[in-house]
Amino acid sequence: MASSAALPGAVPVVSKEVSAGPSTSSASGLFAPVTSLYNRLQSWRQGLDMPNPGTVENLQKEPKMTLLTNFMFDGARADLTKTMSMNPQFQVTHSFQLGGQMIPPSYNFAAVLATEKLLLQGSVDNDGSLSGRIHSNWNASNLSKIQLQLSSAGGHNVLAAEHDYLGRDYSVNVRVMNPSPVDLSAMWTGSVFQSVTKSLALGVEAMYQNQQPGMADLNLQYHAKYTSPIFNKDQGWIATATLQPQGMIQSTYWQRLSEKLEFAADLMVVNVPNKRDAVATLGAKWDLRMATFRAQLDSTGKVSALLEQRFAPSFGFLFSGEIDHFKNSAKVGVGVMIESASFTPEEMGMVPPPGYPQ
Amino acid sequence: MPSEETKERIIKAVDLARTVVHYGWIPFIIYIGYTRSNPQPSLIKLISPLA
Repeated sequence: MASSAALPGAVPVVSKEVSAGPSTSSASGLFAPVTSLYNRLQSWRQGLDMPNPGTVENLQKEPKMTLLTNFMFDGARADLTKTMSMNPQFQVTHSFQLGGQMIPPSYNFAAVLATEKLLLQGSVDNDGSLSGRIHSNWNASNLSKIQLQLSSAGGHNVLAAEHDYLGRDYSVNVRVMNPSPVDLSAMWTGSVFQSVTKSLALGVEAMYQNQQPGMADLNLQYHAKYTSPIFNKDQGWIATATLQPQGMIQSTYWQRLSEKLEFAADLMVVNVPNKRDAVATLGAKWDLRMATFRAQLDSTGKVSALLEQRFAPSFGFLFSGEIDHFKNSAKVGVGVMIESASFTPEEMGMVPPPGYPQ
Repeated sequence: MPSEETKERIIKAVDLARTVVHYGWIPFIIYIGYTRSNPQPSLIKLISPLA
């Protein structure tokens, strides 16, 4: 009874919606110039076919991967990685480090669990300091990250949460660091990165902090990235520049000369009232079948090199060296990487990827 | 603005949460990884660097 009573009731609702049609069209008539302009702009923008420029965070990813600075170590180190499972990927790593000039002997345990949607990572060292990471891929264009760092002695703790949105030809990132629910203080960072032509992308990054009471501070940074029109796995180049109006410019140039050889240059100029400084760095990276070799030269007089040699897929050696010609000092590092799996690839039913050394 | 009492309670709660995360994060990842792994590894392999 109730449903039969509801059915006739539903029909007038539909007809009402139909009759409401002209009134909405009159509303769209009012806004027609705006919507048609918007649609025209959108279709014009789609017609330009500009690529997503990547995020501001990854602006200098290629030169950073080529340059040696982030890979340099001294003393002796050993990394024992154990892969427990491939799907989901679950890995634990024990790293030991000994005899470095800068860092005291240390032990670090790390665990990583990764699926396509989620990444959980944690590492703890012998002092009891913990660092953790959660990445969540909501869909192809939304990515959230939480990052935390807790030290044992109640010292420096960091909690940062950020969200990345990757649009058709732009990227947006919002990040909050150390939010405090008590006095609502935090450090906020927001950035927009927009492709202007097929090759050129421009971005601006704003940082706002009110962590000390009565001290609100807004900082702006400008970014530019130019990617060569021809960019594939055999050739291509990327130039980036970052400008901080307080007086810092960092520019990088990265070029892929062949599938195996990459070259990067980095120039950092600091010009603040009581400090003027500039550092230029040149580096190259060769990717060979079983080895990676990086060499670097910078304007502070340092020459350094790093060789990662794999003797078997699960066993590799690292050799690093650095000579500081101005300070007359040198650093040498030796490392070993051992990866073990609790199964053989055949047991997992996995086909080794092409080019995988047998 | 919250009152002093609420503020103190929030600070205490944040401290507690921080301690829980500090001691619980690695065991949490290991537990999740251990239960979801395929095939399931032995615990000794998971913890010891030599096994």
